[in-house]
Formats: sequence, structure tokens, C-alpha cells
Amino acid sequence: MRISELPEVGTKYEIESPKGDKVAVIFLATGEIELYILEADAETPAVTRLTSEEARRIGSVLTGALLTMEREDVEVSFADISDLRIHIHVCPVTKNVVGKSIENLEIRKKTGVTVVAISRKGQSIISPPPETVFEEGDLIVATGERAQIKACQRVILGQV
Amino acid sequence: MNFLLDLAIVTVSCLALGLASKYLRQASIPAYIIAGILLGKSGFDLISSYEFVQWLGKIGVILLMFYIGHEFNFKGIREPGRLFTGCTDFFVNFSAGFLLGLFIGLSLVEAFILASAVYISSSAIVISSLIENRRLIYPEAETVVWLMVFEDIILAILLVVLTSIMAGSLATIPVCLAATLLLIVFTLALIRRLSNFISPLFERDDEIPILLIFALIFGFSSLAYLLGISLQALGHLLSISLHCHISEIIVAFFLGSALSGVKSFKKLIGATISFKNLFLTIFFFSFGMMFQFQFATLYSADFVLALLALITLSILGKFVGGAIIGKRLHGSLETGLRVGAYTTPRGEFSVVLLAVVIGMETGISELLISLVVAYVIIISIIGSSFAKHGDIIAKRMMVGFNKLMPLARR
Repeated sequence: MRISELPEVGTKYEIESPKGDKVAVIFLATGEIELYILEADAETPAVTRLTSEEARRIGSVLTGALLTMEREDVEVSFADISDLRIHIHVCPVTKNVVGKSIENLEIRKKTGVTVVAISRKGQSIISPPPETVFEEGDLIVATGERAQIKACQRVILGQV
Repeated sequence: MNFLLDLAIVTVSCLALGLASKYLRQASIPAYIIAGILLGKSGFDLISSYEFVQWLGKIGVILLMFYIGHEFNFKGIREPGRLFTGCTDFFVNFSAGFLLGLFIGLSLVEAFILASAVYISSSAIVISSLIENRRLIYPEAETVVWLMVFEDIILAILLVVLTSIMAGSLATIPVCLAATLLLIVFTLALIRRLSNFISPLFERDDEIPILLIFALIFGFSSLAYLLGISLQALGHLLSISLHCHISEIIVAFFLGSALSGVKSFKKLIGATISFKNLFLTIFFFSFGMMFQFQFATLYSADFVLALLALITLSILGKFVGGAIIGKRLHGSLETGLRVGAYTTPRGEFSVVLLAVVIGMETGISELLISLVVAYVIIISIIGSSFAKHGDIIAKRMMVGFNKLMPLARR
């Protein structure tokens, strides 16, 4: 990464890939941000001008902070609260839980995991009440620490 | 008659021509000068108080120099290659202008003025063209931007030298030079001293910060004037001539550069830029309106020839300078030619320089003034299109070179 000060223009951050592609981010003195991409054999660069809000969003996508897809595991982070990460896990019901309610299973009490939604036949139940009974084919959407979710999969769902 | 009417004429005409120039994707500086020429003394003569508009324009020049001074960065200049770049650009273009000036029969001082006007590119046009035409990713964009910074400091030096030389008799030159340098050092030292006192004032949310900036700008600028007056009075006492003009815009430049080191000043630069843009536009107008177009000179064959020679030579100068820079810094002739094309436009600084010289009322020939005005208008328009199509021009030139080279070797 090369950082260079350009008086009257702004600050330029530049990176070159081994292939010779160049990407530059320029913080203009006007407060706007320009994103340049110059492919190795291209004559003219592609340029887009972003507001600081848009740039922040792209930035968090690029750093991988916004969404980390890891099979059915989604991590959500927030641009304004940098240290807050919420893991959302999606898992299909197993024989162990079909016909039982969230309350009876004592999911929260035993593992600390909260069921935030259930996807049932293409429809979603957001914040299902404790007495909701799981049915065959449901998808459970739950949040919690990684360790808690692991515990939930083991203790409640009976997966290894 | 009415100052509001004058202001309306200036702003409306500049707005109209400025907008037109933006739609045509041209530089707006010549548009404002042309607005002034059309409505001023050599045109419809619509302005009731020329003096009033000129005053406002002067504020624009002071603010421009203040802004340039603030952007000036001494550390960056010293990086390897940049000094070489700046000096090459200066020597090639300044000497080209100087020699041509002597050739067409100007005096030494006039040739110096012409050379300065020819040398200095327009930061405003060059930099906005780099951004608009999406050149910032190329390595030569950096070279060009720093070239502009280097030209700014040379401009300050040229102004100091010019105002001192033109002060009058040979004996007063060292006195004027010393007085100017003294005032610069005083400004830098005082701001440094006061910085702890000033910086909390900049953090306020009311009208105090902007007032403070203008108080400093006008205060130090008038100090330049007062110093000039008191030197003259001193000369009277000693019954020698000490006619000195200490340029207020140089003081503004160094005030800006001193303030850039003061904490929390950055917060205010946006507001200062808005004022600068407004008053500088009025300056271009006022410059055009005062200009007495002499159609006789305009049509004389010699004048046209001199103008054409000047334009050709100054375009060539930037390309030659650029080629040397490109070869040395980027190892590529084509990159150098692009640098040349990008830096072709001249503009605000050439006009400012001329305005300062005219303001000193020391008998500059009409020929020089008409020549520079016509030159700046034409080269800023040609130059912007050169800057816009710089890559194509450089490529065509390379093709041409490559065709010629084998022929020359044969």
C-alpha cells in the first residue's frame, strides 16, 4: 500500500496486485471519495465517486466485517458499533426436537441460545413465542456466541 | 451610481458565462475575463464604480495567495526527484519566455514579467482537469500535482523579486528586498508565537473564527502597506528616494503557510475557500473590465505574430520540460509528454502577476499587457483541451517520434 499526499487534491491510497492491476482510493479535499480501478492492460481506469457513507459500506464489505458466510452461519457487524458481532445460525430441525416447544426444550436455559425466527414452509415466524412447537422441515434461526451455538447443536438437536 | 447594480452586473454576467464554460467543458477563468472585457471599459462600459469592483477583486487575489500558502508543504518538496522536476520546468519555460520577450523588443524587466507569466501553469485548471478526466491513478498525476506546488513557491519568489526590482532606482532594490523578507519573517514568527492563543479561538462555533481569519489576513496585508509608507517617510527625512512597494499578497501567502501549522485551522479552510472562489471570480472580471483593448495593436501583424510565437513556444516549453522530467522520473518519454500536456494551461497566476505589476504603475508597455491578456485567454482554452486529451496527444507524438527516429538515423 502506497499512501501519498496530493496538495489541493487530497490523499491517495494505492495498491498494486501481482498481476499489475491497480486500485486507488482517493480522499478528495471536498470530502468525497473516488475509487479507481486500472486493470493491468487497460488504457483508462474505471472510476466511481462515493459519499463517505457509501465508502464506509463498501469498506466493511471488503474487510469482511459485514457478512461472513460460513455454511449456514452468518456474522453481522455494525458500522457504528465496531466491537459488536452477532452470530446468526441457521439449522434444520432434527428428530430430537420435532413436536416439542421452545419452552419444553429449555433451549435458552441450557445453552444460552435465543431462537429469533423459524422458517416454516417458506414463511417465517419472527420472534416465536416460547410455546411454539417445532415441526418437521422447520429451519431454526438462532443467535448466540459461537460456543453456545455449538452447545445447542450438541445438547438440543443431538448433532455431533 | 449604485454599488448593488455593479455587483449584480458582475455576478450575473460571471454566472452566465461561467455556466456556459462549464457546459462546454472549458476552463472558466477566460470566461470571467471575457465577461469583464465585454461589460467594462473596452466594452459596453456598464460599471459605475470601477474602483469598487477592483477593490473586491483585490480581496480575491489576497485570498487566493492565502489559500495557496496554506496548501504549501515544504516537506513534500524535498522528496527526491521533486526538486529536479520543479527546476527543469522552471528553467525550460522561464528562459523560453525571457528570450522571446527580448527578441520582440521588450525591456529586461518586461521580458522578466513575460517569462514569469509564460512559466507558471494554472493550478486551478490543471488540478481540476486531473480530477475530472480521471487521471489520479497514474503516477504522473503525482508529479504534476507537486509541480504545481513547486510553481507556487517560485511564484512567491518571483513576486518578491519583481516588486523589488520595479520599485524604482537600483539603490532601493536591496532595501525593498530586505523589508519584504523582514516582514515575512515577522509574520511567520508572530503566528508561531501566537499559535497557542489563536487555536482555541478557531474551535468556536460562532462568527469569531472567520472574523479572526479575515482580521489576520487584512491586518497583515495592511502591515505591508504601512511598512511601504513608513519607508517612504523615512526616505523623505533622509532626503533620499525610498519608494518601496511591499506586496500584500506575498504576506498573505506566508500568513497562510504559517497558519496551516496552527491547530484546528483546518476546520475553517472550507469557509475560506468559498470566499476565495467568490472574490477571485470578481478579480478576473475586474481584470478584464480595466483592460483597454487596443484594436489597433490587436490587428497589427507584428502583434499577431508575437502572440502566435508566444503560444507555440510556451506549449513547446511545457512538452520539452515534461519530456525531460518523464525520462528522468518515470523512465518513459510518453509519460513525460503527458506531463507536458497536463501542465499546458496557464491562468490565474499569470493574470495575478500581471495585475500586481500593473498596480505598481511603473509604466509597463501596452504591448506587454495586451500580449499577456490575449495569451492567457487563448492558452487557458487551448491548454484545457490539451490537458483533457493529454494521453492521446502523447501517444500521437510518440508515434510521430518513432517514425522520425529511424529516418534521422539513416
